[in-house]
Amino acid sequence: MAVIKSVLREELQNSIRMKRSYEKALKKLPKGALVARSIKGHKYFYIAERKGVKVAYKYKGKVNDAFINKYAEAKALRAKYRNLLSKVKVQIAFLKGSLRGKKEI
Amino acid sequence: MEKKKYELCLEVLKRFQKAGILDGLILIGSWSLYFYQYYFSHTDFTPSIRTRDLNFLVPLPSIIRQKTDIPELLKDLGFLLDFRGSKGYIKLQNPDLIVEFLVPERGRGTDKPYKLPNLGVNAQALRFLDFLADNIIKIKIDNMSIIVPHPAAFALHKLIIFKRRTKSEKAEKDKEQALMVIDYLIKTKAEAELKRTFNSMPKKWQNKVLDSLKSLDRLDIITLLG
Repeated sequence: MAVIKSVLREELQNSIRMKRSYEKALKKLPKGALVARSIKGHKYFYIAERKGVKVAYKYKGKVNDAFINKYAEAKALRAKYRNLLSKVKVQIAFLKGSLRGKKEI
Repeated sequence: MEKKKYELCLEVLKRFQKAGILDGLILIGSWSLYFYQYYFSHTDFTPSIRTRDLNFLVPLPSIIRQKTDIPELLKDLGFLLDFRGSKGYIKLQNPDLIVEFLVPERGRGTDKPYKLPNLGVNAQALRFLDFLADNIIKIKIDNMSIIVPHPAAFALHKLIIFKRRTKSEKAEKDKEQALMVIDYLIKTKAEAELKRTFNSMPKKWQNKVLDSLKSLDRLDIITLLG
């Protein structure tokens, strides 16, 4: 039993650290999403960012491929990190519950 | 959960293989124990409890020549760089796995991370790892050849290090794993391999193993090694 508890404790500490890391990584990603609008056959870009209940659009104009890729990568990573963050939160709740024993989770 | 962990582990290994670095890495720790089920395939060997730590030993001098940015290689799988302790050992963490690198400690030893610039990470230097690097087997899975320590070396190594553990629970886990693997080596009539590996150890290490077995009251194994 002591071995299992020790493994669970170690895993809980790891998960807590991981939660912090994912929150930090999410903050580091560029905010907003890159949105393209076609006007008279030309593509113009905006950064769409949620501000409370509203979504604000910041004009960026014509951007290069590197800029587009940067936001595409950030979008994919944000989705991935959010998903993993929620997974870590579930793990933390489970591990805390397991270590508490009979008390409610 | 376990299936996902295994799939992610295989994906990490596949990426290492594609990058051409898998041959220069030895999978150690509780995950190597997991792969021993293929070595003991004709038995009911069931790996015991394991953590998320996926530990890779980089034998020194490293045979890895090509540059690979491992954090970048695993980034899209959600692995984040984490710097542990005051010295900044690098770990790559994901809710299902934590990838870590180790190197054998030599001479007086140091608590500073060992830089692995070719891999874009650093490693923790630990004692007795050369012994694992010198006694390896290859396990074939999914068109990959995964290098793990020979089960005999794994068990004997655990018998040396469990007394050095500061946490008693970790020592308990080491003992349990070592004896389980030795029992399966005996069961599969691989005692000769166990004895050969034991005889290849320096006398001082052999005494450590024998002391450990004495403290565990496993005179049967001592007789076998004698």
